[in-house]
Amino acid sequence: MLQSIFRECIIKSDIRLLSTVANIQLKERSPNFRCSESNPVNHTVDNLAQFYKIPKEDEKQLFSHGGLTKTFKTHCQTFNETCIMIRKPALDIINSLKHIDYSKPAYRFVIYGSNGSGRSLSLAHVVHYGYKAGFLLVHVPWVGDWMRRCKESSVSTLDESLTDLNLDAALWLTHFKNQNSHFLKEEQFKMSRDYDWNKREKILKGAPLSELIDFGISRVKYASQCVVVLADEIKKLSTSGICKTLVLIDGFNAFFHSNTRIFKEKKQIVPPNKVTLTKPFLNLTNFDWTNAAVVLCLDGIAIGQMDSPSEMPRYLLGKEGFEHVDPFVPIPVNNYNEKEFISCLEYYKDRKWIQQYYPELEKELAFVSNSNPFRLLEIVASL
Amino acid sequence: MEILNYVKKLEYLQLTRNLNKCVLTPILRCASIASKRDHNETETDDFKPLNLRHVKGQSNIRRPMRKIDALPPRTQQMAIDQDWGSVWPGPRTFHPATVPLPLRQGYVKKGETIPNKYGNAELMKIPNFLHLTPPVIKRQCEALKKFCTPWPKALDSDEKCEKHFPIEVASSNYCHSSPSIRDPLSRIITVKLRLSSLKLDKHAKDKFLRLVGERYDETTDILTLVTDRCPTKKQNYDYAMYLITALYHESLTVEEWEKLKSEADMEYYNWNDSKSKINVEKIFGKESKNISHIDEYSESISNLMNEGKQFFYLINLYA
Repeated sequence: MLQSIFRECIIKSDIRLLSTVANIQLKERSPNFRCSESNPVNHTVDNLAQFYKIPKEDEKQLFSHGGLTKTFKTHCQTFNETCIMIRKPALDIINSLKHIDYSKPAYRFVIYGSNGSGRSLSLAHVVHYGYKAGFLLVHVPWVGDWMRRCKESSVSTLDESLTDLNLDAALWLTHFKNQNSHFLKEEQFKMSRDYDWNKREKILKGAPLSELIDFGISRVKYASQCVVVLADEIKKLSTSGICKTLVLIDGFNAFFHSNTRIFKEKKQIVPPNKVTLTKPFLNLTNFDWTNAAVVLCLDGIAIGQMDSPSEMPRYLLGKEGFEHVDPFVPIPVNNYNEKEFISCLEYYKDRKWIQQYYPELEKELAFVSNSNPFRLLEIVASL
Repeated sequence: MEILNYVKKLEYLQLTRNLNKCVLTPILRCASIASKRDHNETETDDFKPLNLRHVKGQSNIRRPMRKIDALPPRTQQMAIDQDWGSVWPGPRTFHPATVPLPLRQGYVKKGETIPNKYGNAELMKIPNFLHLTPPVIKRQCEALKKFCTPWPKALDSDEKCEKHFPIEVASSNYCHSSPSIRDPLSRIITVKLRLSSLKLDKHAKDKFLRLVGERYDETTDILTLVTDRCPTKKQNYDYAMYLITALYHESLTVEEWEKLKSEADMEYYNWNDSKSKINVEKIFGKESKNISHIDEYSESISNLMNEGKQFFYLINLYA
């Protein structure tokens, strides 16, 4: 009995070896899974399920302070390139961003989907588009970092009832400055009114916006308040038509989940609406301004639910959050379809990430991973 | 003289004979038995062993049980035209000798037929209605008829009954052959009432439903009150009536604090009072009535909020 099984195994492994030999020949065809166009502005429906490479300089400017997930970053290092698959959700948003009327109130898009389906990378694609299309980017890489693992918290100097996350705010200001450095050099980006921080420090009307950001970074004590002011200023600039703004927030639902990991002195939990940083971003996601679009990404992990019962916006945002973003355009992100799945496997083969390929592997992997991008990545790691 | 002696002699003899009969014979018999026993003992010349544990030999032989022959079942002697109502007057467990029916019931073993009615636990377990045969019911109804009044002619349909007598009161009576004629369960009163028969406005209905809680069934629109806190049926009935009156009047009154009712206290999601409507009106800069496709939108939002479904069927406003 055992012998017969053993023999079968040997035969099977023989078949595998043979099939890998055969596939080397197939691989030499032109790589259909790659998109030569690295500018998301030019991506069309024909490029669906293809991988495009984010140029090194773009990546450095956009994602050096977050925006790509940790797992993805390590893989990019292994693959020696940062490639994102062009998928329908991101392309849908990009297409609508190209065509919507910016004189109307801000449009809100809400990305949702199951864990590991690629919401954050779809958002990253849109971030790249926004950069290339000349939007002012207001990008929050991960709200969960503020609400669940903040660097430090302190009572706000201006309002006793609020809690400041100044280090995080300063970090975010750096991120903002980095992403929009080309804009901040322009003269039009000025302050609309005076701000007095204390007796000695003030920012006068007409001062460049970068002064406010630099002030927030250097005087960390006022960083949170700087973000509030910055949000107001961006809104004013955008409404007056100086720039087009794209607000992108990943893990947006964390702004509405009452359980945070921010604590007051006596270990009291601070709800998100008592955090200073919540205010500017709820302000920016409101529809009462023009020349702007808002793309929000919902995630159960941002509120500490690794297996959240539902991935739908109504559940994740809660009533209050849902009413805040309503009406919005829902963008579901699903698992890979067949075309995307094959393309992804092709890419992994190309990067030598899958080394033992045999024809049945495709079906096996699709079944075991349920075509979920993240699961696939985990399973394929050992092959 | 000689004759007299002879007579005396005779009398004496008679006497001795009598005495012999009464006294001597038993003594002689005893003596003979004793002499016999003595004779036996001397013959075996052995002690009788004291057998405490009754191990050896059987001490007393059990008398074989006398088998009592059962009477043949009563069913064999029953007349064909007998009065069944008096054979089986009340509810009772099945008895094979009383029921003249060739019943069979139970698990069929392989190669056997269905077990017959004798010693059949399956037939005894199930409740039977042998006491409620149609002629018996008829007879009982006839007997009860003299206590009944005729049904009102005007109430010829269920709708009319419900309209004129909206309250349905139910209670139970119990009959026992026990020293007490009272059963604690007979005190319970169940009152059923269709809510639409009460004249309530929107506010009053909301308040009423909040007050009654689970006692209201939404699907049938029936309110059910069960009162059992008082010791007698009459008191419980009065209490139920009091409850209905109190509930009705209480729900009609508007208290000062009820004005504080906010959206979170609403019993359902009303799109017309919602933030969603305000948002949409602000975005379009006109009243919601004038926006195209607004009905579909509001309906889907209300569905989503009311039914708590996690399904997402929000239509795209701008499509």
